Amino acid sequence: MNIERIIDSGYYWIDASARRTSLALARKLSRRNFLSRLGMMLAGAAALPLLPVSRSFAQSSVLEVGDPQTCEYWRYCAMSGSICACCGGSATACPPGTEPSPISWVGTCNNPVDGRNYLMSYNDCCGKSGCGRCGCHRTEGDKPVYFNSTSSSVFWCFGVENTSYHCTVSLVLGSTDQ
Amino acid sequence: MRFITKMALVLMFAAPLVPRPGSAPALAQIPPEQTSVATMPDAGPNWFVSKSGSGARVFNAESGEMQGQLSLSDWTPAVTMWNPRKEFYAAESYFARGAHGERTDMVTVYDYANLAPIAEIIIPNHMARIAIRAHLALLNNGRHLVVHNINPGHSVSIVDVQDRIFVYEISTPGCAVNLAVAQNDFLQICGDGTLQLIQLELSGFEENRVRSPVFFDVQADAVFDRAARTASGWLLVTHSGVLFEVSTDDTEINISEGWNIPEAAEEGEGWRPGGRSEFLSVHHASGLAYIAMHEGGIDTHHDRGTEIWVIDLATKRLLHRLEMEKPVSTLIVTQETNPKLIVGVFEGNTDVYDAFTFKLERSIEAPGAQMFEDF
Repeated sequence: MNIERIIDSGYYWIDASARRTSLALARKLSRRNFLSRLGMMLAGAAALPLLPVSRSFAQSSVLEVGDPQTCEYWRYCAMSGSICACCGGSATACPPGTEPSPISWVGTCNNPVDGRNYLMSYNDCCGKSGCGRCGCHRTEGDKPVYFNSTSSSVFWCFGVENTSYHCTVSLVLGSTDQ
Repeated sequence: MRFITKMALVLMFAAPLVPRPGSAPALAQIPPEQTSVATMPDAGPNWFVSKSGSGARVFNAESGEMQGQLSLSDWTPAVTMWNPRKEFYAAESYFARGAHGERTDMVTVYDYANLAPIAEIIIPNHMARIAIRAHLALLNNGRHLVVHNINPGHSVSIVDVQDRIFVYEISTPGCAVNLAVAQNDFLQICGDGTLQLIQLELSGFEENRVRSPVFFDVQADAVFDRAARTASGWLLVTHSGVLFEVSTDDTEINISEGWNIPEAAEEGEGWRPGGRSEFLSVHHASGLAYIAMHEGGIDTHHDRGTEIWVIDLATKRLLHRLEMEKPVSTLIVTQETNPKLIVGVFEGNTDVYDAFTFKLERSIEAPGAQMFEDF
């Protein structure tokens, strides 16, 4: 019985506090002012989860230097395979009719323009026979196949309809300085 | 006119029958030749297999002659053989329409006489499609073949090549490179710096699994995913050139103290081991290790060797540095009493050296040599 009374009095206290606060606000603020502040709060709350995404978008607009069709291009520091930019795609786009593998290996490359290190994802483009052009094999940070998350020797055509290897793209995932 | 026409016709048909001095009687005596098909003779000393991207050629290093060829899938990691049964085994992967269509992974059994496929054993479509010799391991007196899988997690398929059946798939997270030891066991190298011993029952199912203490740091100085069999186990080497000899004693994993290749760079620029294929091999009886070496810094582990260093594993001494005109793609030393050092030259031929005198004996055309297997 005592517990029920305590709970009831708790509810009463919450109700009374809410009523007092609402009345106080109503006396102080106009209805338009209240709606305006509520709208700002909701908009701010909605934008909050987007902040990291916005930061990553900012990272993708990295200053570029070099030729994406050459193995010396800064993004290819841990690349192994045919460069998709030579095969009808680009440094970040798979050639027509191929399917990008959702699973990749990673590397860390230094951009000579801004001197920052970027986390790179190397995704194989799959479903066609090997492009065979612009073969590139660089091994900065490369590890053996038993440590395959950073092994460029593995064919990474996994999770795709057809596991034939065609070429490889390199995507910036973010700056390691963040 | 009619007479002349008839004469011309007679002469025209008769002309081939008129004997020419010397030639016609000889033609009449030679029976027409028939096409025949050779079969493989018994293997002699210093025979080896040269695996390329889509086949495996059998050569005699003593004569330099090619003996025959196995046709393999483009994705075959390695080929191995079991001499008592006179069979070759290769893990293969095919797409039904060349580069697309349904994928089928299998172990194919090839006979010795014709180097032709005689059986197919379907395995899960997880086969690691990388040319690494230790992605195949033959255990249990040639009965169980271990085929490495990456999907992208590591596992192995156990295949009974005697009864021609797939046994089962064992998950081996973080560990690859299958090094056959003892009767029915294999070691693996793991990303946490350890070795893993997996022991199979005679049926091929896993019986026991043991992990060694940590003996290397994959970030600071990784052990290569290429290893050489020794008389008692395996020789491992790190990117900087630290050698480890490993073996097992029942459930115990023995790892020697690491020691540097003499004159190799312990850190920074200098001479380092490396290559993109099998670059080290050991002659078991003499204990000599042959390692392709290049000059370079950290992360040059896939640079092809410009010299082959010969190291005595017993005394830990560097015995010889064999300078190469062109970089080394791959190498092997045969296990004969008069062994040959077989060297695949990058974008070149396959050179055969006397493994003890280091004298170049011959150069063989073996297109696309990716790795060698001793017979």
